[in-house]
Amino acid sequence: MWSPIQQTPTCVVILFSIHFVLKAEKLLKRNGISHDVIPVPREISSDCGMAVEFSCLEKERVLELLASADLRIAGLYSRNGKNSFQPISPEHLAVNALN
Amino acid sequence: MSAKPSPIYADNAATSFPKPREVIDTVSSVLGSMSLSPGRSAHQYSLECSRVIFNTREALADFFNCPDSSRIAFTCNVTEALNVGIFGLLGKKLHPGDHVITTALEHNSVMRPLRYLEKTAGINISILPVSGDGEVMVSELPRLMRHNTRLIVANHVSNVTGAVADIEAIGRNKGDAVFMVDAAQSAGVFPIDVVSMNIDMLAFTGHKSLLGPTGSGGFYLRQGLSLRPLKMGGTGSNSETEIQPDFMPDCYEAGTPNTLGIAGLGAGVGFVNRTGIAAIREHEQRLCRLFLEGVGQMKEIRVFGPTADRERAAVISLRVKGKSESEVAQRLDRDFRIMVRAGLHCAPGAHRAMGTFAEGTVRFSLGFFNTEADVTASLTALEIISKN
Repeated sequence: MWSPIQQTPTCVVILFSIHFVLKAEKLLKRNGISHDVIPVPREISSDCGMAVEFSCLEKERVLELLASADLRIAGLYSRNGKNSFQPISPEHLAVNALN
Repeated sequence: MSAKPSPIYADNAATSFPKPREVIDTVSSVLGSMSLSPGRSAHQYSLECSRVIFNTREALADFFNCPDSSRIAFTCNVTEALNVGIFGLLGKKLHPGDHVITTALEHNSVMRPLRYLEKTAGINISILPVSGDGEVMVSELPRLMRHNTRLIVANHVSNVTGAVADIEAIGRNKGDAVFMVDAAQSAGVFPIDVVSMNIDMLAFTGHKSLLGPTGSGGFYLRQGLSLRPLKMGGTGSNSETEIQPDFMPDCYEAGTPNTLGIAGLGAGVGFVNRTGIAAIREHEQRLCRLFLEGVGQMKEIRVFGPTADRERAAVISLRVKGKSESEVAQRLDRDFRIMVRAGLHCAPGAHRAMGTFAEGTVRFSLGFFNTEADVTASLTALEIISKN
């Protein structure tokens, strides 16, 4: 599990439903990428689902893994503070563009 | 009779019994350890429930070789899955005046929705006939195909005769039609590969040979196909909108699911995987051959269905000369504690095809937990009943 004590900036990926969150979790676990399954932050969306948080250093690898499993993502954010998130614009999402 | 014989359960085609220990333990531990409400809240209990559902979905995707586990949706049984498929295609791939092909061995869970659409939506139905020993004549398929054949629904294994339909051949010849397979009796005994069999929608149930609890089942739907959902409501996703999600599995899973049943189903699939589907089939087929050889010696008994040398399931339909089906079943139950099913088995078309309508047959359906001793006791009981 990724620990918030770590000081590296983190990214939060939003997927379409809990199934895809757990699919992403399985992929990240299998590939040894530290992560945490968190409630979708209210600052991002009013959706009551879950999201996956991981170190931004792993961003490219995570996006690659999700793309390789055909996991479409609904949004990607970097966490700037406890309750502050910055969307990473779609053009930076190589394969998994929002649709 | 002095000592009461131990009960013999031979109604596995209705619901398998007993269940593997791990299915019972899983259901019990899930019931005792989490809230059973997945994907609804962000707390640990809900997340654990979501994992239970996710794991069963992944296990089923592997089991049927589905390329993407999100293409599996859970329902409460195969009947619901078939209803979602048949009614859900209306207005999508299926329109008034379109043509549907099905087989003479279908269960009412297929025939009733189709007959309803025939009457209310003007679809036209053709039926693949069966041969003398109750096998679907797939060779007739090309002759029945029309330019507007949009749907082919086929029963994989008959719950009346135990006959196995050549699903691969249907898949090869389906043309542009949606190919829907009712795997109620086959899943867990006969290998199913949705890719190599060219299956567009596979409907299965949890409580038969997948050895799970009742109230569990579902379907696989090929990528690119969509259905009109039969129910809409809370999915735990896209909550900010009042529009039903259009992605699987959420679009077909409104409402809190049967988490317990799905947990047990996952354990059942685990048991089948560990035991080996081939070992299960071999065991059941060996018992079936013994049974068929035994009743073959009794001239008062007539079996309806494929002979022992054919690939078949351990579902044995028979009649005892001069006895009604209900009388035979009742005597088996009361005098010998052998539980079977008598009648039409919800498949009147199959009985019409076999010439056993409207009385039906006495059906023995053997499962993985039946033994040779069960078969011997059943044969002895049938011998006694047929003599007086």
